[in-house]
Amino acid sequence: MIEILSNAALATVQDLGRLGSLRFGVGTAGAMDDLALAAGNLLLGNEAGAAGIEIPVFPFKVRFAEDCVFALTGADCGAKLDAEPLLPWWSHRARAGQVLTLGLPQGAQRASRAVLCLPGGIDVPEVLGSRSTQMRGAFGGHEGRALRKGDVLRAADPKRACRTGFGLVPPALALPLQLDGLVALRVLPGAEYLGFEAASREAFWAGEWRITAQSDRYGYRLSGAALRPVAPMELRSHGIVPGVIQVPHSGQPIIQMRDAQPSGGYPKFGTVIEADLWRLGQAPIGSRIRFIETNWDEAVAALEQKEAWLAKVARMVALQRSGPMGVAA
Amino acid sequence: MSLSTTGPTPTVSLLGTTALLFEAPGALAFASQQRIWALAQEAAGWPEVREAVPGMNNLMLSFVRPPRTLDALTARLAAAWEAVTPLTREGRVVELPVRYGGAGGPHMADVVAHTGLSVEQIVELHSAPLYPVYALGSHPGYCYLGGMDPRIATPRRPVPVLSIPGGAVSIGGAQTGVSASAGPSGWNTIGSTTMTFFDPVRDPPATLQPGDRIRFLVEGIEP
Amino acid sequence: MMKAPHELREIAGWMAATDIGFLELRMPGATVRLGRCGDEVVTLDDGQRHDESPVAHRPGATKRSGPPLDTVTSASVGVFLHAHPCATAPFARAGARVQAGQTLGLLRIGVLLLPVATARAGTVAALRVEDGATVGYGAALVDLHPL
Repeated sequence: MIEILSNAALATVQDLGRLGSLRFGVGTAGAMDDLALAAGNLLLGNEAGAAGIEIPVFPFKVRFAEDCVFALTGADCGAKLDAEPLLPWWSHRARAGQVLTLGLPQGAQRASRAVLCLPGGIDVPEVLGSRSTQMRGAFGGHEGRALRKGDVLRAADPKRACRTGFGLVPPALALPLQLDGLVALRVLPGAEYLGFEAASREAFWAGEWRITAQSDRYGYRLSGAALRPVAPMELRSHGIVPGVIQVPHSGQPIIQMRDAQPSGGYPKFGTVIEADLWRLGQAPIGSRIRFIETNWDEAVAALEQKEAWLAKVARMVALQRSGPMGVAA
Repeated sequence: MSLSTTGPTPTVSLLGTTALLFEAPGALAFASQQRIWALAQEAAGWPEVREAVPGMNNLMLSFVRPPRTLDALTARLAAAWEAVTPLTREGRVVELPVRYGGAGGPHMADVVAHTGLSVEQIVELHSAPLYPVYALGSHPGYCYLGGMDPRIATPRRPVPVLSIPGGAVSIGGAQTGVSASAGPSGWNTIGSTTMTFFDPVRDPPATLQPGDRIRFLVEGIEP
Repeated sequence: MMKAPHELREIAGWMAATDIGFLELRMPGATVRLGRCGDEVVTLDDGQRHDESPVAHRPGATKRSGPPLDTVTSASVGVFLHAHPCATAPFARAGARVQAGQTLGLLRIGVLLLPVATARAGTVAALRVEDGATVGYGAALVDLHPL
């Protein structure tokens, strides 16, 4: 059991998303950095898709009401358990009464969201097949809302005996993708791609894009050279998914993120491939990013590479938790 | 949505590796939507499809996992589109009492200004049709409706409103709809209703389904 | 300690599930080398060893007056890291006082990071292996002056 001690603005309970209710108007929600959530869960022996807490605003403080193991992944926030510094991407053990504090993200690979996992996952009810917080409509997660000071959350399996004290090489280092020193994202051109001027298309791939302050779990609004359509495009409302790059009349693109609504009508320049969406989920506001054009085969291969990394994590962690090489905590 | 037509043949486009979008050819039409429903019903049973999600004369198929190649799936979609019989859904008729104008309809004046009609004329035109639910989308329980009188079409607002309440009845371009929960909107809100459109613990969670029809009843007009 | 055959089998099974290509177990009076042959893990003869960089290991502690040094050894084959990959500051520098249980470095095994910790308090005499070097099982990693 943990109690939130800080005004945890925008921290939410998330799993890997609510994937099967789009036809009722329900978007997927889910962790912005699905790799961090899955890896944190695997470190504790949870299902990769168990619910964790996604923390985008710091400092963040929680008190452990009982002895409990936990894992920290995602942004390296100079975490401390009471006064003791904790390693990022690592499994830890807290005693009853100890306070976990996450500070501002730090390091050369500065990310923007930390993930806290507990044994068995965060114990909130499953709604429409998921424990993710659905903000619009206010259901799922913890009471259908962001966490607040004083909230008490339970681990589904709080007493689990669990080897801790080991970690993972963060995927930003294990699966890097950069272009000219900036985080790069692979994009599959979308239905209206050719409806934009050739110069705009070139500029999209060649230019740097800044993530503006109007960016959140719903969408990332980018700033850069405006994308101009050859002629205005009016579309019928249609299904969309996280990663879709919409271009409203301003010409400044918006990338749909995990809380995006499941339908839209703006022209679609392309889609950031699912395999790279975690990188964008960790890109801080104000940072600059680049885009790389990709194709179906490469995009599927990238997804397989990401899954292979997770499979390796699952295998190695299982061995560490049970094998002869295991280091007892 | 606009009433613009698409090309002469269906198109298929990719939404990354997560889904594909099938768009019906021709002008936006109810008959075409009935074929989309039929196509959705069939495609929902295909092994690579996680969910078949109708839009306005289009259909999104999300993948269980992305197929190695897309040729077989797109060929199957094209063949199924040619073969389907339009799905006639004898849905329910749901009557929604609406209070038009006043505090619950803050943008009525903008619709008056754009259309040149009086409030009474707008209310009469808006409450006359039996609107078919084409599809659900946008947010939990929200219905895309067909059949609004083009005379009251009003462009979306240049600056979206940060939050409109659940039950807000609004016009965006040639479409009308009722928000199912509080949230941002670029549409012009002309009235309000108290209907509950979504309950996540119900099965199905949405009150209305494609094929149901909505009639707006004039409960009152406020200045 | 000599490894019993069933322990060796366990280790070989463990290794087969990883992407480790070669593993050397050094025990008093014996060295066992396990290598990958396709998906199989086999015990290698001395002559068959044709792997990556030589395993960093110097037998015995440096001779000097005073009490003998404590040597922290590697619990596995892997890559010895002086700092966490997200950080630049090393866990320990020569001359630093360390507590029992304190982490002195990390061992990277594929995607996994394991702590290299001291069982006893002391002062760091020397890091015996370069940052980023591949080390074998039992390799001496850090020398400590016990308190």
